[in-house]
Amino acid sequence: MDLISQGVVSGVLFGGLYALMSLGLSLSWGALKIINLAHFSFILLSAYIVYQLSVSYQIDPLLAMVVVVPIFFVIGALMQMFFHAVDVDEFKSLIITFGIFIILQSLIQTVWSADFRRIGIELNPYATQSISFGGVAFPVSQLIAFVAAVLIAVGMSLLLSRTYFGKAVRAVAQDRSMARAYGVDPRRVAVILSGLATSFSALAGLFVAVGQSIFPGLAVGWFGIVFSVVILGGLGNTLGTLTAGVVVGVAANTASVTWGPLSAPLVTFLILIAALLFRPEGLLTRRSVA
Amino acid sequence: MRTQRRRRYLVVILVLALIAAACGGDDTTDTTDTTAPADTETTVPSDTETTEPEEMEEPSGEPIRIGGTLALTGFLAATGAIHQAVGEVFVERLNEQGGLLGRPVEWVLLDDESAPDQSAAAYERLITEDEVDLVIGPYGTGNITSAMAVAERYGYVFPHHTASLTYAYNYACHFSSWSTGLHPNITNPNLIYDALESTGTPPETIGFVVNEFPGTMFIAYGQDGTDEGGAVSLAEDRGWDVVLDLTFPTATSDWAPIAAQIRDADPDFLYIAGLGVNASNIITAMQAIDYSPAGMFSQWPAPGPLLQTEGADGIMSVTIFEEHPPFTDNPDAVEVSGLINDALADAGIPYTKVETQAAASWTAWEYLTQAAEGAGSLDQQAMCDWLLENGADTLFQGHIEFRPDEQNYFEDLSKLKQVQDGDWWVVYPEEFAAPDRSLIYSPDE
Amino acid sequence: MNRRRRTLLGFAAVAVILGFFPAVQEALDLPTFYVIFLFTTLFWVAQASSWNILTGFAGYFSFGQGAWYGIGVYAVSVLVGKHGWPFMAALPMAGLLAGVAGLLLGMVVFRLRRLSGEIFALTTLAIAFVLAALARLLPAIDGGTGIFMTGTPLPEFLGDFTTAMYLLTLVFSLLTVMAAYLIQDSRLGWGLFAIRDDEQVADGLGVPVFRYKMTALGANAFFAGLMGGLWSLRLGFVTVDDVFNIRVPLFVILMSVLGGMRHWMGPVVGAVIITTISDRLNSAGLADVSQIIIGALLVILALAVREGVYLRMRDRWVTTAAVFFGALALVTLFDINGSLISDFAYAMVATTLAMLVPSGVWERMRANRGGTGGDGPPETLADDLTEANT
Repeated sequence: MDLISQGVVSGVLFGGLYALMSLGLSLSWGALKIINLAHFSFILLSAYIVYQLSVSYQIDPLLAMVVVVPIFFVIGALMQMFFHAVDVDEFKSLIITFGIFIILQSLIQTVWSADFRRIGIELNPYATQSISFGGVAFPVSQLIAFVAAVLIAVGMSLLLSRTYFGKAVRAVAQDRSMARAYGVDPRRVAVILSGLATSFSALAGLFVAVGQSIFPGLAVGWFGIVFSVVILGGLGNTLGTLTAGVVVGVAANTASVTWGPLSAPLVTFLILIAALLFRPEGLLTRRSVA
Repeated sequence: MRTQRRRRYLVVILVLALIAAACGGDDTTDTTDTTAPADTETTVPSDTETTEPEEMEEPSGEPIRIGGTLALTGFLAATGAIHQAVGEVFVERLNEQGGLLGRPVEWVLLDDESAPDQSAAAYERLITEDEVDLVIGPYGTGNITSAMAVAERYGYVFPHHTASLTYAYNYACHFSSWSTGLHPNITNPNLIYDALESTGTPPETIGFVVNEFPGTMFIAYGQDGTDEGGAVSLAEDRGWDVVLDLTFPTATSDWAPIAAQIRDADPDFLYIAGLGVNASNIITAMQAIDYSPAGMFSQWPAPGPLLQTEGADGIMSVTIFEEHPPFTDNPDAVEVSGLINDALADAGIPYTKVETQAAASWTAWEYLTQAAEGAGSLDQQAMCDWLLENGADTLFQGHIEFRPDEQNYFEDLSKLKQVQDGDWWVVYPEEFAAPDRSLIYSPDE
Repeated sequence: MNRRRRTLLGFAAVAVILGFFPAVQEALDLPTFYVIFLFTTLFWVAQASSWNILTGFAGYFSFGQGAWYGIGVYAVSVLVGKHGWPFMAALPMAGLLAGVAGLLLGMVVFRLRRLSGEIFALTTLAIAFVLAALARLLPAIDGGTGIFMTGTPLPEFLGDFTTAMYLLTLVFSLLTVMAAYLIQDSRLGWGLFAIRDDEQVADGLGVPVFRYKMTALGANAFFAGLMGGLWSLRLGFVTVDDVFNIRVPLFVILMSVLGGMRHWMGPVVGAVIITTISDRLNSAGLADVSQIIIGALLVILALAVREGVYLRMRDRWVTTAAVFFGALALVTLFDINGSLISDFAYAMVATTLAMLVPSGVWERMRANRGGTGGDGPPETLADDLTEANT
């Protein structure tokens, strides 16, 4: 029983990180109609920047938040402006952001080599500390990531439902021209939202760097989990994404401790397929390849 | 309309950037040495001091071209970079000391992107289009296996390093520089288990965590139908209780459930049949749930990251060379190690000491050059025969023989090393242990 | 002679010319590498063409080429490597198994009418991941140990290994491209294009939408699997990581987008260009740069070249011929190293760049020179309208 409860707890905590990794893509896809695969490379890039900051300037990785979040907010904003300039639809955005992902990943490898990088122990005590409670250990780094994910998801949800900006976002997502008629500038809204989404990815990258060794090939491995969470949670649905993250995390972890680690990826992808086939809510009708 | 024009300008700019990027490289010849750092030109001897007073004549004549690939990009690139650095040092030093058969040597290195079919294609290109004189193997079991088939097809002597599936290599002229013997799935675990028993307090329970990678699966479980043995069954043979036997996917990134299962099983000794940073990640995950096994072993870890991992003190691994006595009793080995340390540092590789990968890499080059010098020519068959008859005298691994009845393998020269006081030290067998170092292990932590 | 007969004769001619190439290579003592390079190119021609049947013709974007390819590779590897089947008997099974898998997917996915394009794309991606996970999990398939295909015996009449690989790749790629042509030039093709433009309208017009989509998907999977089965020999040592990775799915997208997805020649042209350039970059030691270039190419192509370079080449054929042969002549004259492949690479790059000149600029240039207007046939009514509205 101890094993199962440990597995569930790990699953919940990891689920928070998964949700954080998926928020950027989910918001982008749901509100901006852009399937932004570049988010994977943003998470990776942020992780490397946090690593580099710890190595070059001995900055505590959690404090690095102050650096990466603004940087990536700007990157996200600029990217959205780029998309406005070239006028893409969903399908094209898939290809273009895929290209950006490849470029960024190669650049990361060129700069930092393909070798494994890890923040030193002295600067990163979070990786190995844990809080014990009821026979189950709560690793500190995962706990912090989970708390951050919850705060952001809830905060974003409130933002979208209660504030003027939130209403503007939802209006633009539903009907741009009507929104414009009501005095909302769709472009400005989109740019800010894109900035926010990217800064969430930056935060996720920070926690990745705290929790494990990083290397360029890491990013491709996230595709399966993130898409599972995004689809299951519903596009643009922040609380849904949080829940989905936890569900996927728990499912994968319980599978791992019950049937062995080899079963975990299978479970994750089966969830993805089930979600795709039976719960692809909130999407447009199929568009042709132009 | 405005959008169209903007799009157009954007496209033009991007195209120009693309041209600039493509033109950035020199691609007028097919034989450009791809090594970027400092000395890429290897045909002129440098003026740096050499400790060898003998061969100081400048190599002259047509360069001898040695072709090969390495994983310079892709998921194997971390270790590929080590082999690149070592190869460059070797070739440079070789040319300083008179070259090969009096001629300068040029290394034609291509990137196989960690993909075996790329590796095979590149070797075919090197052999049939660039018509290189000699070849040297790539890095990574899959790449080595595919490339070996090509070398066999064209009858090229094929020295290679760190290919783990020993039983599969039947080519008469393949020469492995990683001295694990033909049955590492038997000899490696026995080395470790003998060492544990030599402490007088061997484990009673043992747990296995195995990376689902062909090489580690082979070590842990043997090969059905081909070879018995394997770490798991050998542990059972010693009367130890196997309390955990997990296989994990190579691309695992969530280690928490594995750590939880290890803690639940609580083995006296944990055998991590893994590569790269598997052990580092597993240990960190265990620390995060407040668990630390009494003893640990990691099959083929990336040595640097493990030293940086909290909780990794006391972990063991195997090696064929370490930078301390008695290995460093040979001054030539010390000198070359120094050159390699510098080269690795220049390449931006964090861990610069010479150990298994670098040592095997250097040894493979030695096979090739000794074969050519010994046979007095670049004839592949002559070189192959010479090696089979004479073996090779290597800097880091001593004298190696190639036994045809063991598929050209020699003995298992692996030693056991352990992390103590923040660094790696060989601790078993005793003759090879670092001064004042011995294996520290006790089941009761 | 009608167009179909002409095209089929063209195929026959290509088959004969390419078929005799190994003999030519031996007679002229050209590097064996040319044969290897050719069959590598043919492999990609087949993969890109098969992918395009579904994505380009029917408009269902597939991220799953890796799934069909992987099934093909593992079908042959398991049958030959684990059960001792003769290689030639295992090959058709590779295609069949992949085809059946594709049809199974189609039965589930195409019945759910509300499945949008992006969701279909992600589903195909997920299928590839699931297959990879299964291959890792089940020792009957792989189980992590890998399968050795080196040393597999081939029928004697095919010649040595390289020639055998070449001839088999030639036959399979010809079959694939011919299938793509025949599909495009048939009622099925017309139906697929209609589905791509607007599935509901097509349905209303009486197109058997479900049947046609299944055929396209089945053809895609079958040919991809067939070529994958053959490619297991090339890989030598088959492991899950080397088979189920991003390479095949990524490159087929790139090649087809570059060449053009609306015509069966598009993927062929795209595959030839990309394979040549990528090979030359690798041989010049610029592999890491080539990764970046691929990414950049994807971005540029998605933005700039809507219909792919093939159609533009066809419309601007005079310029194409002039630039290509002119560049080829120039490079051959001033060349130092004598690699034919490099010469062709330069010529291809020059021609491709010429094709990238945007239509608007091109039209103005032609108008200034007093040529006829028009940028070729409008592809669809929808495109006309969108163009008018931008």
